Parts: sequence; C-alpha cells; structure tokens
Amino acid sequence: MNADSRAVRSSSFSRIVNTAGVYGIALLFLVLGLLLQLTGAIGNFLSVQNMLNIVDAVALVGIVAVGMSFVTYSGHYADMSVPTTMGFTGYICIELLRYGFLPAILGALVVGLLIGLLNGFVIGKFKANPIIWTLAVNYVTLGIIRLVWVNKQIYPDLQGSGQAAVALFDSIYRLRFFHLIGLPLVILIILVVVGQFVLTRTSFGVKLKVTGSALRAAKFSGIDVERVILVSFVLAAFTATIAGLAVTSLSRVGAWYNGAGYDFKAVTAIVIGGMTLAGGRGSILGVLGGSLIIGILNNIMTLVGIGTFSQDMVRGAIFIIVVGINAVSLRSLGRDDA
Amino acid sequence: MTERETGPALEMKNVSKRFPGTIAVDDVSFEVSPGEVHALVGENGAGKSTLMKVLAGSFDDYTGTIAVNGRVETLHSPTMAKKCGIGMIYQELSLARPISITENLLAGRLPRRGFLLDKKRAREQAQELLQHVGLDLNVDLPIEDISQHEAQLVEIAKVLGNKPSILVMDEPTSALSREEVDRLFAIIGNLKKQRIAIVYISHHLPEIFRIADRVTVMRDAKKIATKSITEVSREEIVQMMVGRSVKEFYKRSERSLGDVRLTVRGLTRLGFFHDVSFQARRGEIIGICGLSGAGRTELARVLVGLDKAEEGTIELDGKPVKGSSMAAFLEQGIAYLTEDRKIEGLCLRLAVDDNILSAIIDRLSSASVFSKSRGAPLVERLIGELAIYPPDPSRTVGNLSGGNQQKVLLAKWLASEPRVLILDEPTRGVDIGAKLTIHTSIEKLAREGCTVLLISSDLPELVGLCDRVIIMRKGHFTREMNYSECSEESLLLAANGEGSA
Amino acid sequence: MRKMEKSRLLAFSDKYRIYLLFVAVFAVMSLFAPRFFALQNMTSILNAIAMNATVAIGFTVVMICGQLDLSIGAVITFAGVLTMGLEPLLGFPGAIAVAIAGGAFVGLLNGLLVAKAKINSFIVTLGTMTILQGSIYQFSGGNSIGITTPQAFAISDFLGVSLIPLVTPRILIAILLVVAVELFLRRSRAGRNFYLVGGNKNTAWFAGINTDRYQIAAFVISGVTAAVGGICSVLVSTAATLKLGENSLMYVISATIIGGTAMSGGKGGVLRSVIAIFTLEMLYTGIILFGLGNEVKIFFAGLILAYVVLYEAYATYKHDKSLGQRPELMKEIKKRRTASGGA
Repeated sequence: MNADSRAVRSSSFSRIVNTAGVYGIALLFLVLGLLLQLTGAIGNFLSVQNMLNIVDAVALVGIVAVGMSFVTYSGHYADMSVPTTMGFTGYICIELLRYGFLPAILGALVVGLLIGLLNGFVIGKFKANPIIWTLAVNYVTLGIIRLVWVNKQIYPDLQGSGQAAVALFDSIYRLRFFHLIGLPLVILIILVVVGQFVLTRTSFGVKLKVTGSALRAAKFSGIDVERVILVSFVLAAFTATIAGLAVTSLSRVGAWYNGAGYDFKAVTAIVIGGMTLAGGRGSILGVLGGSLIIGILNNIMTLVGIGTFSQDMVRGAIFIIVVGINAVSLRSLGRDDA
Repeated sequence: MTERETGPALEMKNVSKRFPGTIAVDDVSFEVSPGEVHALVGENGAGKSTLMKVLAGSFDDYTGTIAVNGRVETLHSPTMAKKCGIGMIYQELSLARPISITENLLAGRLPRRGFLLDKKRAREQAQELLQHVGLDLNVDLPIEDISQHEAQLVEIAKVLGNKPSILVMDEPTSALSREEVDRLFAIIGNLKKQRIAIVYISHHLPEIFRIADRVTVMRDAKKIATKSITEVSREEIVQMMVGRSVKEFYKRSERSLGDVRLTVRGLTRLGFFHDVSFQARRGEIIGICGLSGAGRTELARVLVGLDKAEEGTIELDGKPVKGSSMAAFLEQGIAYLTEDRKIEGLCLRLAVDDNILSAIIDRLSSASVFSKSRGAPLVERLIGELAIYPPDPSRTVGNLSGGNQQKVLLAKWLASEPRVLILDEPTRGVDIGAKLTIHTSIEKLAREGCTVLLISSDLPELVGLCDRVIIMRKGHFTREMNYSECSEESLLLAANGEGSA
Repeated sequence: MRKMEKSRLLAFSDKYRIYLLFVAVFAVMSLFAPRFFALQNMTSILNAIAMNATVAIGFTVVMICGQLDLSIGAVITFAGVLTMGLEPLLGFPGAIAVAIAGGAFVGLLNGLLVAKAKINSFIVTLGTMTILQGSIYQFSGGNSIGITTPQAFAISDFLGVSLIPLVTPRILIAILLVVAVELFLRRSRAGRNFYLVGGNKNTAWFAGINTDRYQIAAFVISGVTAAVGGICSVLVSTAATLKLGENSLMYVISATIIGGTAMSGGKGGVLRSVIAIFTLEMLYTGIILFGLGNEVKIFFAGLILAYVVLYEAYATYKHDKSLGQRPELMKEIKKRRTASGGA
C-alpha cells in the first residue's frame, strides 16, 4: 500500500551492463592506444610483443586481484599483507627447491595458507580493522624475512638445488603455450572462471554476498560469518602466493620487494572493475576487466614516456577518484556508501 | 493575564509531511499549552514520530504552520528548532560515550576564562544541571561508565540546559523500573510548575492516565481526536487508535495443541536473565511480555543459539538441543525473527528473493552448488501468501515500505520451516494492513503445528493472539497467564510487577 | 557504587598505564642494558624519537577524531625531499615553507575526502600515500638529495648542537609542539571539541559544532606535524633519503594506541602518545644494546603493532559480549552462590 514508486531495480541485467561497461572502458583504452600510435605519439602499441607485455602484466595483477576480491566482496576492503606474502613465499620456495620442485611449491602454498588463516581468524572473530591488521602482518612478515635472510637475496641455482627443479621453477614464468600464452595467463583465466563460478553459483558465494551486504543480518540468518571471512582471506593469500611464485620466477631471485605495490594495484583493479569497497557488489569478470584497464593504461603511460613513479601517482589518483565517485553516486541513489 | 500568557505554547496547524509515494502526516492540527502534559498516542506507523520529527526540524519540506509562543516559525533545521525553544528527548540517547558528563551537558558551550577553559565553573554548571533531574554524580565520569538509566537522566538534563519552552519525550519510560518511572514523573511535575509544555509520546495507557492532561490520538497519518484525559476511557482511546473495536480486531482462533515440544529448565545467562523455565506445545502461541530491559530478547537469543547460557537446559521434542551456534539451532528447527529488521534482519541492499532465501542457503545447495531456481517457487508462494507489494522478487528490499519489509523478514523465516519460531516485535513500525496479514500468517503457522513464541510490547497483539503469556520482569520469569486472564490492563500490570492472579 | 569504583580503576589504568609502562621499561633497561645511561645513548634515543614524536602529535589528533592517517610516512619523506631539493632555489626558509605548505595541502585533501565525500579515512590516506610515494620518487629521480651550500651546513650544524645536555633544538621543537598541542586539547574549547567529534559525531553536530571543519583540521594538523618532523630530521642529517618515513607509520600507530588513544575516537592524548614513543624507542634501543641486530628490532616493532591491534580488537570483542548486563542480577547471583556455598 505504501510502496515506494521510486524503487530501483537490482536485476542481473544491470549487473551485466556494469561488467560490460568495464570492458567497454578497456576497449576504449585500447582504441586510445591505437590512436596514439597512429598519430605517431607512441611507438609500437599494437604489436604482438607489446600486447604480450600487457597480458603478462595483467596476469600478475589479475591473479592477486581475483583472490583479494573475495575479501573486498565480504566487505573487508583489502588485504594489505599481500606484498610480503608474495615475497615471503618466494623465499620459501627457493629455499625448498633443494628438496625438489613439488615440495617447494607445496611449502610455499602452506606458508601462504597460514598467513591467510591468521588474517581471516583475527579479522573474522575479533573484528580487527582489516587494513590495519593486514598492514601489521605485512610488517611482521617483513621482520621475519629480515630476521631470517637478513637483507640477502637468494638465488635458486645457488641453493644447491637440482637442475631439474630449478628449470621447472624458471618455467613458472617462462613457459609459453603456443609460443604466446604464458602460464600466469592460463592460471589467471582458470582463476577467473573458477572464481566467478564460486562467487555466483556456490553456497559459499551466496553467503559471501549476504555477509558483504549486511554483516549483522548475515549473522542473524544463521550464516557462519567468521568462517566465510576466514575463507575469503585464505583465498586472498592463496592467489598472493601464486603471484609471488610467478614474480619470483620472473626475477629469478628471492627478495622482499618482489611483491611491492601489488596490494595497491590489486585494490585499484578491483575498484575500477566495479566492486565497491562496501562489499556485496561486483563480479570476478569485472575484476578481470579492471586488471585489463590497469594493464593497458600502464602500458600506454610507459610508451608515452611517463615514468614509473608518475604512473604511481596516476594510479593513486584514479583510485581515489573511482572510490569517490562510487561513494557519492551510491549515496545519492539512497544506497550504502563505498 | 495577557493573551500571550494564556495562549498555547505550541500550535501546529494543518501540518502535512509527504515522502515519495506516501503521506506520513496528513493535515494534523495539534496544540499544547504551557505547563500542560499532552499525550500523543497512536499505533506504530500512525505518524506521531514523524509529526514530532517535523517539530524537531528534521525536514525542510513540511506544509502547514507551526507557532511557538504565538510566533510562527519555519522549523527547517534542528538548530532552528532548538533556537525556538523546542527540546527533544528520544529513546536513542544522543550522548557521546567516551566523553565526560560535563562535556556532554555543556557541549559546544564550555565556560571559558580568557582562552582557556574554566573547569571549575564547568563542573559547577554541570552539577547544577544534574540537580534538576535529581542526580548526584561525579561529573567527570564518561557516559560509558554510568548506568543506562542515569544516562537517560543526563540526556534530559542536557536538553533542559537549553531552557526549552516545549519538551517532547518519546517513549521515555520503556526501559525504566517502577522507581525510575516515579522519579521521572516527579521531574515532569517540576517542569509543569515551570510552565514548560510537554508532549508525551507513549504506548503505556496507565501511565498516560497518570501523567497527562490531554490526549491526542493519531491513526493512519491523521489526527482522530483530542480529548481531556478526564473525559475519555482506556477502551475509547484504544478504539480510536485501532479504528475498530478491540474485540473484533484480534481473534484468537481455537487450535488443537499437540505434545510438549519445547522445554526450558532453569535457563540462566549471568547478568541478563536468571532461572527461566517453561514449556511450550506444538501449535501453541506463547507470548513473552515485559518492559524493555526485562530480558526477553536476551532469552530469545539464547533459545536460538546466538548466545550461550551458563546454566539450564533446552529440550526440543524431548531431546536436548545440540550445538552452540545459530546455524546448528536453525538446523534443528529453531528460528528467530529479530527485533530490528533493518540491520539485523534484512539485507536492505539485496533483492526480495535474496533475502527470503538467505536463511536456507545450504538447504538449497547440493555439493555446494547453490540453485536459486530451486528456491523460486518458494519465494513466489511466500510473496503471494504474505501479499508482499510489489510482488517482484528482484526488487531491492530497502525500497519497500516498512510493512512490506517486515513481511519479507517473516517470509525468510517461514521459508526455513521451523519447528519453533521466536518472533521479536514482529509488527513494530508496520501499517495496519500488513499487521493483519502477519497475524494471519502467525495463526496459520501455529495451526500447522509450529510452536510460536511471540515477544511483543504491543499489548492488544498479545491479548489477541496468544494462548498463554509469560511475564518477564528484570531478568526473571514472574508468572504465566492463560489467555482468559489476559487483557491489556492485566498484562501491563503484571509486566510492572503488580496485580495478582 | 562498587561498579563505579571498579570502572574508575580501569579508567585510571587506561589513562596512566603508559606512564607506568614507561617507568617499567626505563627501570629494566637501566638495570640490564649495557651503557644505557651513556650520554651518547641517551642523545641518540632522544634524537630518534624527535621525529616520530612530532609526527605522533598530529596522528593522535586524527585518531582522537576517530579517523586514521596512513599517509604520514609518505608526508615525512615528501617534506624532507622538498626541503632538500628546493633549498638551492629558495634557501632554507623558502624550502621549509613550501614543505610545510605541502604537508598542510595533503592534510587538506585527506580531510576533504573524508569529511565531504565521506570515504573511509584509511582508504583515502592509502590513496594519498601512494600518490605521494610516486611523486617523491618522481621529484628526486630515485636518489637521496643532500645539501650543498655552506650556509645550509651551518644551519644544520646549529640544529644539531646540544644547547643543554641531551636537548638539541630539534628536540626542543618537538617538546614545544607537544606542550602546545596538549594544552590546546585539554584546556581550550576548540580542543575539547575534537574529542567530542570523535566521541559521537552526531552529538557534536547537534551541539552546533561544525564537525566537517574539525575533521579537516585534524588531517591538516597531521600533515603539518608530519612535515615538520620530516624537515627537522632532514636538516640535521643533511640528506633526505627516500626511506626517511618508511617505518614511521608502524611506530606511530603502535605508540598512539599503546598510549591509550583508541581507534574508535573520543579519548587519548598527545603527551601519552609521545611517552609511548619514548618507551618503545627505549625498548628498541635496548634490543640493539643487548647485541641483537637491527632486524630483530624491526621484527619486534611489527610484532608490537600486531599485538596492539589485536589487543584493542579483543578488548572491544569482550566488551560487546557483556553489553547490557544488569548489575543487580549479577549481585543476586553472587548472593545466591555464597548462600548455597555455605549450606
């Protein structure tokens, strides 16, 4: 009787439009790059090599972003312990290479899992501020790295590991299917497909959505909110580990700075891809699109000659702008803030 | 006496307030004289809260005129309202918890000596303000260190500090004990002597008859009548509030009751409720009645696994309930419709179907794969059964009216097919039509064999629906009343700890 | 009345625990750490804390308002780099002015985004931190910037010289700022308003306080003190390295929370944060004096932060659990228990 005639529909149609919009923007950037190339402003944008570069960069950020997006979706903003998780697992893997390739990978995964469990537990059960806590964990892990390896960088082949193991490790980053598609990209695609499925079609995904939309209501609906949060942080740490292994393989050295900046890059990709920081909204496909946009934008900026550090500034600015727009527009629609 | 002295302190004429799609206050005229206590009554959703919000300056788009002490004012902001001498005392306190009493009372106007604060004078002023409400506390204490009741008195002292000529009190006694109510009424008596005009919003009819000079009844956004308290009876007021005779409105149906389903023995949660024992049968509707703070919601939370009791047992169909989480209890068939529907009950950002299915996610999934389509027929049936409007499963719940939101919340728990359903204030803030639908649904549920525990402060609701009513007071189960013994009066008396069987 | 006394005891310990902690650490260190009382050790401690203490002043004000400023580390480095980099062009006074203005500007940006756009403060300051880090590297080209002119060296020497034993001008600046801000917060109306805004924004709003303005002011203060901290540090060490403010965030957050300022806002104090920084620095120096390396120190710093965050979260968790408990009921149970216990 008293229905609000101004009711806004939240339908899957609008969600599809949203995601399509993200890819549309990505396409726009591609076109921009093409235009810049045509007008002679930049060099080889549309070359195979350049496209591969973009894809490789996107893959790394995308892997981290897919996992972290579960944390964002649950309404807990981001996992700031990703950079040192990446570095730390890289160190572990290299150290364990002497026991073989598989044990090394498993060892790294276990360590990543433990970090994720720690984060998920403290944040899920005690409701610690996610950003501050994961920052603290970041520092502690950094401290552990400094304590154990004391600023040393370690190299796979100097660790006394077998040739085969090192070669396999090398190939994490360098393996190419059909001479084009790198392993990280394949992993990313698998993660995106699986992730999208998990988010939209599993009971966990639905529970995650309810938790992200209204945490207290989720709790009062009989959903084990603590467990949901725990799993989402484990997923974030999991993908961080995979990305860490890839980056370490790329640089062929275990170093604490291997993961530097990935936390922020991932969050920016997530936010551009349509997932709001408030949780419960967005999709993995969107996150992929966001990673694409970031990758293409970075590439264009590099080709134009903008230095890496200025790129940081641009990314930071974009992040704030997107979050700001989300916050303002959602509020004017009468919905939650970002 | 000049005309200004005898004129009304507050005169609202033809005031209306619309929201998109609905009208909350419809051409209401209302006036209060200085030194008068004018009660404003009406069901939840009748419009009295909105009318007072207009007075408080919460809206800038009301129509009609409001005159304070003879002067017409435009109350478009809370600061304006305060300047005109209107003081509002709400149920939710507006105090800052980590801040001291002094700084709360004198917020924004701490006394200075030059550039620095004059702490001595501040303390003196604060103590003086507290004296007006009969409090003698260490004013350096932060609010979080004093009791809820003392905090409420501090709130009153704070509002009085602005020297209002009109004071609006919204349900001031809902969390108070008998002594505390007496104290409050003594304060009100003093305020009357100071010629302050008081608007008193309450559901407690006995109290209104005790304290008020006149009473105005609102229903469906309109003013029904204003009467002097000596010229009207309780039944007449209730009739005006409800719009039809009470006996007609709530009909308790005859149901055959089954075996004992729920047995609670010696249930104790330290500091919240102690030693509660009762039994409930299949198909029975048991009311839990008590004043705010009696421990009803705390009891419910333990019965559904949200909190843990230190002592006592809960048995379902003869077997002790296993597990210690809400999910485990829900699995065994005990469900809880929360008192608050906006934060604890519904996901306002999500759609109707998402909400209705949110408690049975695991049941609709096989091997972790969730099948929303499996739940679609259930959603459709419940939307139809509860007449949820608009009947669109993909509509965002946050955009529905209060009554429809509550129906969605009820649908969610009906979907879980519980054996025991505990309802906490299921018709609060709900329009009459929705209320009827919800009551019908509750009856139907009981007839189908479910055991219903109904926590409510809506006395007619308890009288009309329940087979038995349990009275709780200050954490104790005091007595049990059969439906034949239940009337609004007897329930209210029992909840206050008086009256005998 | 018993409850009153118990909670007052807790409040007392909340307020003063940092002083007790300070005394305890000081005692332990002076008894067990070798060369603790050596003048050089003391001076180096005081100098190390001068920067972080200055920064903690503004950070505490932001936290009192119930917000967080994660960009302070970046502002420190930013201000230091600006000062050193612009000195050849504008001389020290000019460069310092620009650096302070830069810090204020960052604070203004943070404050506007938090107060007006209503974005979470840790998200906003995370963003500005990243932007700043990028611009720092951009401006410096990735290198540290040292001072070159003789006048500059002279000024820096002056600032580094002890006027009285232990107290260099840099430390003096820090002390003066602490005293000024603490007095302001405790004894002026505007200062108390910061607490009110953090305690309950609505209460402040209804009392006629312009909450947006106070929140913006808090961030500006934070930006300015961070800039001052960076400037002083850089002037004495004569070079601005890019790692200047790297660990500050961690230290300052830990210290502020240990000092009794809660992330929820409305309570705490600047003096306490500074004492906490002092205490932590004594602890860290002690670690070095005991012969453990720098890495152990950093590890400990991270551990302390994690512990502090966990402690506060856990305390809130426990508090929420017992919310709404009726004291009379608890008394009744106790009476019943003792009665039956004796029977």
